[in-house]
Amino acid sequence: MINDFWNLLKRELKIGFKDFFTIISFSSFFLISILIFVFAFGSIPIEIGMIYKPIIWVILIFSIMLVSENFTYNDYLDGSLKELQFLGYPEEMIIFSKSIVMWLMIIIPSLFLVPVSSIFFKLSLTDSLSLFISIFLASPSLILISLVASLFSIQLKSNKILQFIIIFPFYIPIIIFTTSIGHNQDKLYDNNFLILIGIFFITLPISLLTSRLIMREINR
Amino acid sequence: MIFKFANPLKFQRFAGKFQPVFLSLSLLFLILGLFYSFFRSPPDYLQGETVRIMYIHVPCAWFSLMIYSIIAVCSLFSIVFKHTLADIISRASAPIGASFTLATLLTGSIWGKPTWGTWWVWDARLTSELVLLFIYLGLILITQSYEDRTKGDKYASILAVIGIVNLPIIKWSVDWWNTLHQPASISKFSSPSIDESMLTPLLIMTLSLLFFFFSILLMRIKAEIIQRKIDVIRFNRVNQ
Repeated sequence: MINDFWNLLKRELKIGFKDFFTIISFSSFFLISILIFVFAFGSIPIEIGMIYKPIIWVILIFSIMLVSENFTYNDYLDGSLKELQFLGYPEEMIIFSKSIVMWLMIIIPSLFLVPVSSIFFKLSLTDSLSLFISIFLASPSLILISLVASLFSIQLKSNKILQFIIIFPFYIPIIIFTTSIGHNQDKLYDNNFLILIGIFFITLPISLLTSRLIMREINR
Repeated sequence: MIFKFANPLKFQRFAGKFQPVFLSLSLLFLILGLFYSFFRSPPDYLQGETVRIMYIHVPCAWFSLMIYSIIAVCSLFSIVFKHTLADIISRASAPIGASFTLATLLTGSIWGKPTWGTWWVWDARLTSELVLLFIYLGLILITQSYEDRTKGDKYASILAVIGIVNLPIIKWSVDWWNTLHQPASISKFSSPSIDESMLTPLLIMTLSLLFFFFSILLMRIKAEIIQRKIDVIRFNRVNQ
């Protein structure tokens, strides 16, 4: 079982990091999107500082959604998704390995980019740290949900819009708790961190079970 | 009894018989309910005449949740037992549920303007009801997006079962968070905090909308069964 999981993880890591361009394009997308918000909203530091966290979350959600499709759609197109199932790999394991690699490819760069970009917005160290921790804790749930949504819309041509509509209601609780972190000024500890961990432990089994059901349906 | 009617053809016959009965009952209760709402119930001491929107708003809100529960139960039934009728009921219920949710939001908005002074606030109950509308839209889109009906139904069933997490959030949002929206006036665990003169028209209107829902549901189920028959005939002709 562990060997199977390790094989899948190695496969995903090889595919994911073979194309290093994805990480560079994601980082560029992240920084350029921040710039767009600055141009649209104005450059007054106090005002832009207030919407910095929502900006980061909006960008992160969109980038997760855009990238998640690559992880499932390419495998669906070249038939490897079906092949992996045929070889007897559990569907939950396939999606779990994908989510780990996706987390490494998207969230690790963004965790480096967040402190850098917070300098532009003159954010305090406590604020930057709380944002850093909230991304670290909330991103696994976001990734799992987006992978499930990408599986839902894998066989559709106009899948992007449908994917967004499916994802949106399930992202709301996570967004509510992540954006309310840090309202308690000068205190790094927040109860919402625990809630985010709780959400992850609810999301993990539900999304893995759901992916199993969808993947079986895809290949029926 | 349930399994006797679980056959789509038998259910179609049942629907054909009972649909006009439910529609008539709905109209009867609607007339009675409107009479009680406009002439027998007093205006509220604070809200005045605008309180009468409640007789539409509250039943619509109840049904928006009830219909989603029906969809979720049918979806679970469909996933576990792979029963066609459960898929048909889910598919037929989703647009009705979406309409009730939209009606709840619209009537709530109309009621909110004179009482709260605004058409919309980002209140917990209102926002969670809006999220429910989006889940309904997602369900409708997912069932319509696939050329293969059974595939669309299966995906919608899975989505409906996951979406059930939103129901307790909507139901207890007013108790969990400090919101502008008032808590429930009618509860199973305590006596209603609403006067009988207002409770009577509310319950009559609820019955009217309940029969209206059953009537429309049966109509849509009949149409869905006929559509599936047409699909089978077309498929057989193409393959002959």
